[in-house]
Amino acid sequence: MAIEEHTISLLVNNQPGVLSRIAGVFSSRGYNIRSLCVAETTNPEISRITLTSKAESDFTEKIKKQLDKLVDVVSVTDFTGAPSVQREMMLISLRLTEENRKEILRAIDVFGCRVIAMSEDYLIMEITANKDKTAAILRYFEPFGVEEMNRTGAIAVFRQKRDE
Amino acid sequence: MEPIGADIVLKTLLEEGVDVIFGYPGANTLPLNDRMADSTIRHYLMRHEQAAAHAADGYARATGKVGVCLATSGPGATNLVTGIATAYMDSTPMVAITAQVNSDLWGRDAFQETDIIGITMPITKHSFMIRDANQIASSLRQAFQLASTGRTGPVLVDIPKDILSARCGEQPKKAPKAQPKRIENREQLERIAQALNRSERPVILIGGGVKLGDACTQMSEFIQKAQVPFVTTMMGIGSVASANGFNLGFIGTHGNELANRMIHQSDFILALGARFTERSTSVIDEFAPLATVAQIDIDPTSIGKNVKVDFPFVGDIQEALAALLPLIVPRERNAWLERIRTDRQTLEEKLTDGGCGQAGSLIRKIQAAMPRETIVVSDVGLNQIWTVRTWQTHSPRSLLTSGGMGTMGFSVPAAIGARVGAPDREVVVICGDGGFYMNIQELATISAYGLPIKVVVINNGHLGMIRQIQDLFYDARFTTSDLGDRVDLTAVAKGFGVPAERVAVDEDPTEAIARMSAAAGPYMLEAMVDQNQYVYPIIPPGCSNVEMICGK
Repeated sequence: MAIEEHTISLLVNNQPGVLSRIAGVFSSRGYNIRSLCVAETTNPEISRITLTSKAESDFTEKIKKQLDKLVDVVSVTDFTGAPSVQREMMLISLRLTEENRKEILRAIDVFGCRVIAMSEDYLIMEITANKDKTAAILRYFEPFGVEEMNRTGAIAVFRQKRDE
Repeated sequence: MEPIGADIVLKTLLEEGVDVIFGYPGANTLPLNDRMADSTIRHYLMRHEQAAAHAADGYARATGKVGVCLATSGPGATNLVTGIATAYMDSTPMVAITAQVNSDLWGRDAFQETDIIGITMPITKHSFMIRDANQIASSLRQAFQLASTGRTGPVLVDIPKDILSARCGEQPKKAPKAQPKRIENREQLERIAQALNRSERPVILIGGGVKLGDACTQMSEFIQKAQVPFVTTMMGIGSVASANGFNLGFIGTHGNELANRMIHQSDFILALGARFTERSTSVIDEFAPLATVAQIDIDPTSIGKNVKVDFPFVGDIQEALAALLPLIVPRERNAWLERIRTDRQTLEEKLTDGGCGQAGSLIRKIQAAMPRETIVVSDVGLNQIWTVRTWQTHSPRSLLTSGGMGTMGFSVPAAIGARVGAPDREVVVICGDGGFYMNIQELATISAYGLPIKVVVINNGHLGMIRQIQDLFYDARFTTSDLGDRVDLTAVAKGFGVPAERVAVDEDPTEAIARMSAAAGPYMLEAMVDQNQYVYPIIPPGCSNVEMICGK
């Protein structure tokens, strides 16, 4: 079976130990969670977890059933292959020199990144984009000497209201 | 007097129909043990927390009610782990209550502090850490609800000592919301019925879920009407009486050759409450290659977990069978039934003793000497296979064994729970010397409470099944499996206050068995068998269900 990336979103009770149960569903079956985002929803008793994992194509179906069994999981949504908007955020800090300053600033403009902080020889930028684009941007800046990089996991919403 | 947390625990347990707790106290459970003096709930003091969990498990298996065990924090709680895992693997409804250190000590590595919720997460359906005395009743009620519904299983409730001691108000039960029962997806049942009606060589596969779903009567009716032969998993044994003419036996590594052969040749399998573990299917790619599969299970994650399923149905087995029954058209399948008859005859001639040798003959004699409604509890290893292949079940809750987890040491404590839960039935343990050692201290519990449990220890001085595997597949190098013959188990039993005798199985054990069955109280029979007595046929690792071997 082909290995592909899956994006799953869960609504869960906002309580201690819940994340650990969810992580257990993945780890006990040998799956690795590649990215993970957790935050409260508009209802403070409910959190949304968005996670991605690489696995065989029938993975989501199997893992979804296991997650559905957890008492603290309210709902499980599979974003894999569905028309959705996905975004992750990345912060990059770069060392600036006389030679590279111009090109870096131009690229930041072209890619639509935002400069968060800048001094004579130092720059921090922020990028919010889908995973492919953040990866491409990181690849572009790497030759300039990335001092530090940090990024969130993906979050997602459907493009249009789904049929019930 | 205003009640404390412990009173609420006991009151809620009573409300949930609990009459017995199997436990072992510690400093942190004491508020609860103290209040038991005023409760009608009986507490059985076991000699090890692991045994408390197995006893609760045995109680649940014998009665169908939720079993309850209680242990203190730290080592008490961790000692429950094997018992909880055993219950989880066989879907036994159980509530395990553990006391925790005072809540102001959490995370400080206090004396006897352990994160039992974290430790048991993969082996419980759910768990509750009680953080407020006012949550005790609601959490416990939810625990019982979870343990006893859907795919049943163990739930753990961890309660800090300060919350057990805290004054708190009554916590009355809210009226439960009525949950209308209805069958969804009826068309899928119709498709299953059509496929079964069309099939030429159908086999029904009965798993442990048929008993757990209390659907044994419906199952028998269904078989009678459909006139379809059935096989079981090891956990499914007893769902339908062994003597039913359509019974082919149980499938898998140590199963009956007839069952393995016929499911392999079948063109349609109707599986109920079975998850197709590798112990049942052997090499999965070669399992029943000609069959389409219909699977009925209450747990959606069991469907298609191990085999490809053509007709899935998620739901209650009892209701599913009731809905299926009128859709079944009985038809003649003479060629199929004739093939089964011929094979059965050939196999019976080939394997005259059922593959269980002297031990099988011993077990037949024991069953003959005991009342019809006796509950037999097997341990794990050769003794288990000898028992499940030999014992003729008449009713569903009469053969208890640790199937999924294969826990040695299960039998003696589980028998205690079974006897406490079913005081009108005789209880016989059949275990090996290896498993007997693992919870031998429970003879003290049997003795202290005068429980008339008959314990048969089939002693071959070895870990017999390990020895057989070494003999067959490790060039007969018998490393690390010799238990020796220096221990006089009858003297040990007598030391615990249990009358005992030793008998050689190759001589006639009938009189010894008669003395055991006539004993009013507990009895231990040490039955000596030769170390080269194995169980055959067996499926070698990496082989399919039709590659059973009958010797070296």
